[in-house]
Amino acid sequence: MKKRSMETSLADHRGKLIRSIERRLFLKQGLSLGALALLSGCELTDGEGVQKMLLAMSRWNDGAQAWLFNSTKLAPEYPESAITKPFPFNAYYGEDEVRLVDAASYKLELSGLIREKKPWTLPELYALPQTSQITRHICVEGWSAIGKWSGVRFSDFLARVGADATAKYIGFECADDYTTSIDMATALHPQTVLTFRFADQILPPKYGFPMKLRIPTKLGFKNPKHITAMYVTNEYPGGYWEDQGYNWFSGS
Amino acid sequence: MKSPEAIAVAAILGTVSLAFAAGTTPGKPMKMDEPMHGEMKKQNMKKGDVKKAAEKKALKMKPVMEKEAAGAQKR
Repeated sequence: MKKRSMETSLADHRGKLIRSIERRLFLKQGLSLGALALLSGCELTDGEGVQKMLLAMSRWNDGAQAWLFNSTKLAPEYPESAITKPFPFNAYYGEDEVRLVDAASYKLELSGLIREKKPWTLPELYALPQTSQITRHICVEGWSAIGKWSGVRFSDFLARVGADATAKYIGFECADDYTTSIDMATALHPQTVLTFRFADQILPPKYGFPMKLRIPTKLGFKNPKHITAMYVTNEYPGGYWEDQGYNWFSGS
Repeated sequence: MKSPEAIAVAAILGTVSLAFAAGTTPGKPMKMDEPMHGEMKKQNMKKGDVKKAAEKKALKMKPVMEKEAAGAQKR
């Protein structure tokens, strides 16, 4: 009796294994086919054609990454002793050119598929329930650093303003002219936080005063600083670096 | 009485620290025609390109969002 159930279990396992290998083979063949199509479908001298094809492949890649994204899997968190000191400054401009945002007149503008579009002042944002995280910021340039950020869980903020959680994208505009956007699943991830503090102090200008969206499941350039406006939409918004060909999803 | 050497050293140190502070204190106007900082930039990218791209994007996204928001209100 026991032997038979073991045989049945082994047969089940073998079946699953074969199906898994078949799936992998299918994916491999699909990717090879895609690569072949890329090579044969356009002339390498046709810059625009190549760019369009690469962009289409990149968007396909975004879709695959979004499909693989696990909205409950958490990024590693670290003890205070692991914090990188000093935390590096990084932007497309020098540290002396960091935009200074006036706290008194600052208002976070909301638009798109959001029910309550009333702008938010800093005291109103600071009064929301806060959470902290010590996570690793990973830059596309190849370096990483651990920091402590505190603020309101982004999913709580989105629920409070009545954002349409079935929409696809959230776009951001920043005081330093930077733009980016993220997928809704990442926006609702428990570690995605709208932060107002760094190392238990009000965010200094160089780290994004008055607020930085901290997303430990994505690369650094998907973590906008000095946010002044955000919108919820179903239309792909892209972003500055994303429009230059950097992978839009850029996350795990 | 302070020696002239000590005063000169203090003056130099003061000037150097002021210059250092001016170099890292945020708030200086961005030089838009200068090349971008960082490793993400591509050849010939200037700091001002980001502002131009943001303005273009805002123009593109504004009517889309207005349309979407109007559609959501109807529902």
